[in-house]
Amino acid sequence: MAAKTTMRTSALGARAAGYLFIVPPVIYLGVFMFWPLARQMWMSLTNTTLARPNDGVFVGLANYARLLETPAFYASLRITVVYASLAVLLGVTLGVVSALAINRPFRGRAVVRGILLFGWAVPNVAAALIWLWMFNERSGVFNKMLLGMGFSRLRWLTSIDWSLPSILIVTVWQVAPFVMLVTLAALQSVPEEVREAARVDGADPLNVFRNVTWPHILPSVQLAALLVAVWSIRRFDIIYLLTGGGPLGSTSTLVVKIRQTAFEAHELGIASAYGAVGLLLALLVAGIHNLVDRRRMRWVAER
Amino acid sequence: MSALSLILGFLRAILVLVLVAVAGFPIYWMATTAFSDPGQLYASGQVPWPQPQYFGALVAELEGLPVGRWMLNTLFVATGTTVVSLLLGSLAGYALSRFRFHGRGVVGFLLFMTQVVPEALILVPLYAMFVALGLLNNLLGLVLANAAFSLPVATFIVKGAIDAIPYEIEESALIDNCPRIGVLTMIVLPLIAPSLAAAAVIAFFAGWNEYLFASTFLMNRTLWPASVGLASFIGQYETPLSAVMGTALLFSLPAITFFLVIQRRIVSGLTSGAVKG
Repeated sequence: MAAKTTMRTSALGARAAGYLFIVPPVIYLGVFMFWPLARQMWMSLTNTTLARPNDGVFVGLANYARLLETPAFYASLRITVVYASLAVLLGVTLGVVSALAINRPFRGRAVVRGILLFGWAVPNVAAALIWLWMFNERSGVFNKMLLGMGFSRLRWLTSIDWSLPSILIVTVWQVAPFVMLVTLAALQSVPEEVREAARVDGADPLNVFRNVTWPHILPSVQLAALLVAVWSIRRFDIIYLLTGGGPLGSTSTLVVKIRQTAFEAHELGIASAYGAVGLLLALLVAGIHNLVDRRRMRWVAER
Repeated sequence: MSALSLILGFLRAILVLVLVAVAGFPIYWMATTAFSDPGQLYASGQVPWPQPQYFGALVAELEGLPVGRWMLNTLFVATGTTVVSLLLGSLAGYALSRFRFHGRGVVGFLLFMTQVVPEALILVPLYAMFVALGLLNNLLGLVLANAAFSLPVATFIVKGAIDAIPYEIEESALIDNCPRIGVLTMIVLPLIAPSLAAAAVIAFFAGWNEYLFASTFLMNRTLWPASVGLASFIGQYETPLSAVMGTALLFSLPAITFFLVIQRRIVSGLTSGAVKG
């Protein structure tokens, strides 16, 4: 509706006024986001080092060629994909299940809903500190519980086998509440008449869910999945603070690699190449989402 | 009521209890650790509930740390990020909602791109730029960097809100020769105040929580926001753990409170524009 009303304004005057409003924010983003981004992409084609950040020489695709020869790069790519995929799978599943569990009114629902949102609302650094303490090998509450149940201690963050699962636990705790909120909002708009009609026709609750509720909330769930995927590819704080990318690189996602290669190995060119791959991955995810979305639109329209 | 719905109802109640326990436990444990005898934490084992008698000791410990200073710095960064994001986000949101100008699609795409760019990816160029501009080791630089990421979110929210109000309201003011910017500030923005509030909360806590830029751009300890100060406790054992968790709690409570109050609007704001641009 809004799109049509806009057209009513005189085209030329409105266009000029439009520029007046859009130019300042665009300049701002140009200076503080896209200029640095362009420089970083350029840097990935040079041999720039942190010691002499302005003296990089153009080396073509040499940095990318070097990445392709580095086992650590493939490891990092694999870790990023595994981490993001599992974050989406587990975060979305838990989020949708939580939403379904608290969708119907019950006594104390507001409080429950609030508590379920804790992981999402707590700042990353504070979350990192409490999880570090809970994961603590000697005195942390998790290992105390394991000992109490007769198991032996786990090296949650310091063993190659457990570091990524531990990071995933924290990640799911943080993202599932967001998925839950998105799903709850979508559930609100499921037409009750349709559900009622299905029930009258003798459909059991599981059937109603599969044939009425799920198709209705699917677009929102898919959007939430996309956001979780992109956030996971971007996520730095939690991983860096909990494990620093270790042990032995077992939690070094591409984004952690950027910072390590730039500020520890001082190789800005290589760091930028890592960044470019990370960006590409995120764009790929967003592209796939848009494709699926469009196909579904067409499918709905054709029906 | 069928047997199946009864069983489902029972399972659901159990599920809710488990979810609450899992989701709430870390914060409960944060509070428990903060209100405990720091000497006991590593040695004999932690008492699994908060002990109010240690409140005084906690306050005394916190007074020995630069927590007040950190919070003030955080407050400055968060407020600055909010002001810049809302000012520019209102302009951009209004332009995108009400005008069809050349390059509109490009702007939409660029805004979408910002949501995909990892902060770590522009860290080094921003660092170099801030050295040149004298913005390194400067809270203002931090504000400018943070706002680049929260401005697009504010834009999406404002655009979505303005899309939903009828244009006729503005038209009458325009006929009376009110300038566009007046229409925006006097008529449109007051109408979308709740959405602006949501955008403000998002921008504020993006600035409040931010760690990567702050830890890279600020060398001077007196400039540290609480996120960097808190992170500096990691791997350092002089500060009692109860004080560390007390600080974490102080730092988290405002974020938790505001996010819970404004949760529904945040979701509609983030999902409406975040992807379509």
